[in-house]
Amino acid sequence: MKELKYVGKSLVREDSYDKATGKTIYVGDMKRTDMLYAKLVLSEKAHADIEIDRSEAMLVEGIEAIYTHEDVPKVFYNSAEWYPGIKGIRDELILNNRARFVGDRIALVVGSSKETVEKAISKLKIIYKELKPVIGLKQARKDEVIIKENTNLAFSKSINVGNYEEALKKADYVIKDIGTTPKVHHAAIEPHVCLAEFDYQGNLVICTPCQVATQVQMHVANVLNIPLNKVRTVKAVMGGSFGGKSQPILEPIVAFAAWKLNRAVLLYMDRTDVITGTVSRNATEIAVETAVNKEGKILGRKVEVRVDGGAYNTNASNVTMALGKKLYRLYDIPNQTFEGKAYYTNTLPGGTCRGYGSPQGHAVTEVNIDNIAKKLNMDPCEFRLLNLVDEGAKDLTGAPEIGNAKIKECVKVGMEAFNWKEKRDTIKNKSADRYAYGVGMACGTHGNGYKGAYPDFTNVDMRIYADEGAIVKIGVHDLGCGTITTLKQIAAETLDINMEKIRITEADTFVTPYDSAGTQASRVTYVCGGAIKEAGKKLKAKLINAFCKLKNVPIENVETANGYIYDKNSTEEHTYGDIVTEYEKHFSESMSISLEYKSPANPASFAAFFAEVKVDKYTGLVDVIDCLAVHDIGRAINPMLVEGQIQGGAQFGLGMALYEQMKINKNGDVKSNSFSKYHIINSTSMPKVKIILIEDNEPYGPYGAKSVGEMATVAPAPAIINAINFALDTNITTFPATPEVIVNEILKKGI
Amino acid sequence: MIIKLMVNDKMVERDVDPTKRLLDFLREDLNLTGTKEGCSEGECGACTVIVNDKAVASCCVLVGQVNGDNILTIEGLEKNGELDIIQKAFIEKGAIQCGFCTPGMIMSCKALLMKNPKPTVDEIKRSIEGNLCRCTGYTKIIEAVQQIVEERCNNE
Repeated sequence: MKELKYVGKSLVREDSYDKATGKTIYVGDMKRTDMLYAKLVLSEKAHADIEIDRSEAMLVEGIEAIYTHEDVPKVFYNSAEWYPGIKGIRDELILNNRARFVGDRIALVVGSSKETVEKAISKLKIIYKELKPVIGLKQARKDEVIIKENTNLAFSKSINVGNYEEALKKADYVIKDIGTTPKVHHAAIEPHVCLAEFDYQGNLVICTPCQVATQVQMHVANVLNIPLNKVRTVKAVMGGSFGGKSQPILEPIVAFAAWKLNRAVLLYMDRTDVITGTVSRNATEIAVETAVNKEGKILGRKVEVRVDGGAYNTNASNVTMALGKKLYRLYDIPNQTFEGKAYYTNTLPGGTCRGYGSPQGHAVTEVNIDNIAKKLNMDPCEFRLLNLVDEGAKDLTGAPEIGNAKIKECVKVGMEAFNWKEKRDTIKNKSADRYAYGVGMACGTHGNGYKGAYPDFTNVDMRIYADEGAIVKIGVHDLGCGTITTLKQIAAETLDINMEKIRITEADTFVTPYDSAGTQASRVTYVCGGAIKEAGKKLKAKLINAFCKLKNVPIENVETANGYIYDKNSTEEHTYGDIVTEYEKHFSESMSISLEYKSPANPASFAAFFAEVKVDKYTGLVDVIDCLAVHDIGRAINPMLVEGQIQGGAQFGLGMALYEQMKINKNGDVKSNSFSKYHIINSTSMPKVKIILIEDNEPYGPYGAKSVGEMATVAPAPAIINAINFALDTNITTFPATPEVIVNEILKKGI
Repeated sequence: MIIKLMVNDKMVERDVDPTKRLLDFLREDLNLTGTKEGCSEGECGACTVIVNDKAVASCCVLVGQVNGDNILTIEGLEKNGELDIIQKAFIEKGAIQCGFCTPGMIMSCKALLMKNPKPTVDEIKRSIEGNLCRCTGYTKIIEAVQQIVEERCNNE
């Protein structure tokens, strides 16, 4: 294979210079002449009818408007829909007169400064006529208090492969586990923020750190009843999302204010607003039973999942099914039943969150896998190796093929590198009165786009300029991962142009070509990168043809290098730019290409995560001493960026295993409503994550690449829990395993 | 109240409400928006600046409290078009992802290196324990500072 110049190199991100010097302008840094500031008023009660007396607040100097339910369009929408073809249950309004969770939007205050706005908010008289709240899945299921119309059941569906009941009959053992996963706050360090204004072309511009610009455009146009082509979403610099900024939350309401007032309006949130008033990872209760024979082969599995959907429908159906479908892509299980149900509760709505169902699904099933191995007296890695999918495996549900699955190799390589066998055999010898040591591991899988479930294509315009520079217009969103750098490496490689000479757009719905699904579902490197590679290949072919025509050179004699094109039998060199100009002059055509690229496949990415823990039996505190992530990534376009994804994903996963949960009491009050009460892992608690990449070429991925960012969040949490359970000989299935959970288990077992 | 202080080696004199947060004074009055707000309670460290050689959360300091003091923000690190070694190391090591925690993170590291030119890994970790990052898992941030220390040791 030809040596690659850009792909596979740990190249530095261009945007990191401005980020390192504080020059990067995030939306919260933006200022406009005569700009207004706006803040939402969020409900303090979980379930209540609201009356607001704004008379006194309106007297605050500088207050421009205070909007409540009665002022806004009564257009119901579902913020989780990203294109009009998704006909979800539409139950959201931009402002509500009935609050359905603590944090629900009940008013918007707009004024000349933040101080003005805060002052007016303090003068609002809000009368809550409280209703009984429904908190937690148990209460939701009772249907005694109903949040919506007839039932709190928001969604229900099952997936069946083979015959689980028959598998049960043949089983030597059936291992059952029930576990829970928490609502997790995304905790992007940039709080949600959004700016709306009119541009000189008459567009209502929504400048927002978003993941799907067209989704924002669709909801704004729908709610305000204005044409789609008058709404311009500009993806702004993103101070982290992890799914939290994927569904439009602020955009429709700030657009409404700017539209009504004909002024630029910046809507900002503080941390408490973000924790309580946006979305979270869906909490789940998962019951799994697995039928195995004594040789260690999984014969069948039944997984029942209950999803806490929160107060609005949003992604209740999608996340439930996404969770379920992943369970068919990691192990070779001939008979498997999945039953998923989602419920409304008076808590903040569920939303997309890094891994989208995979972290929850794998959390409990991977602990169950360890329990099976224990029952069979087998090493958990060896048991997995007997059951994990192989290369070219089919998804028995009929979903797209699993692709070049290298999860077995991940496990084998990881066992070797982590010194698994020896550690597993000897680590408990280190345990003493107070501290218990253990090692554990887990596997996980995630997808590469939407093919098989939703339309998955992207349009790209690519052009080479007369100065050899190239522009790639595509509707992508860099969420902070370095997407633009990755895509530039693909474009540079394909076009054979120096990377510094390539520029790639981020989504701007007035300018960039259409993209069917945005930067979500782990689709950007795989699908959008694939599109850029395809466009680059065609554009380079066009350039070579132009050169042949202009210089009368046979195609087989043409060679290119770093923006130069030449006849290998001649000493004459031409820049790409020379050819672009000559081609335009003689053939009246530009050196550009536009294409629509449909994702050809949707393979699975995989990872195995190994961890060593030290558990303090007195306090229940857990130290993660060592960890190793082995990823089946197809090919790393930029290994440094890939490592960053895996290390950050591990921080997310370790948080889910040990610390992170939205604490909501029986009244629906959010107790963990600030960073002092919601703990994400800091530098002193975070272990160094060792990384091994298995790069074995995913056939349809650009240069063999497949996804990593979401994948990285999946396996760490169950690996940590498995390590704790091994250390203590417990069966913890509650995420997070807080000191309280651990101490309770220790007391229960009397160890 | 008339407040006089040095910000990034420049004298600043303003008539300002002394109860204004230093963070707001920097961002709004001086347009130094590199300093970020992530939590408003001194937990996330995105607003870290250096006051008289110490890293502080500027959301928890009032401008009246720093009257006469010497303030260094992320905008003041670059000298004569040359980036600070910490900025360079962050860029080279891939320690920056979304970038929102970066200014505060760099300022905490700067304060550390000002008083301790060759910190250990544990000292590096402790110096940024009040700076939350959701993207990187801290590994590459710590490695960036380690690289500086290594280079210093090698140059001795």
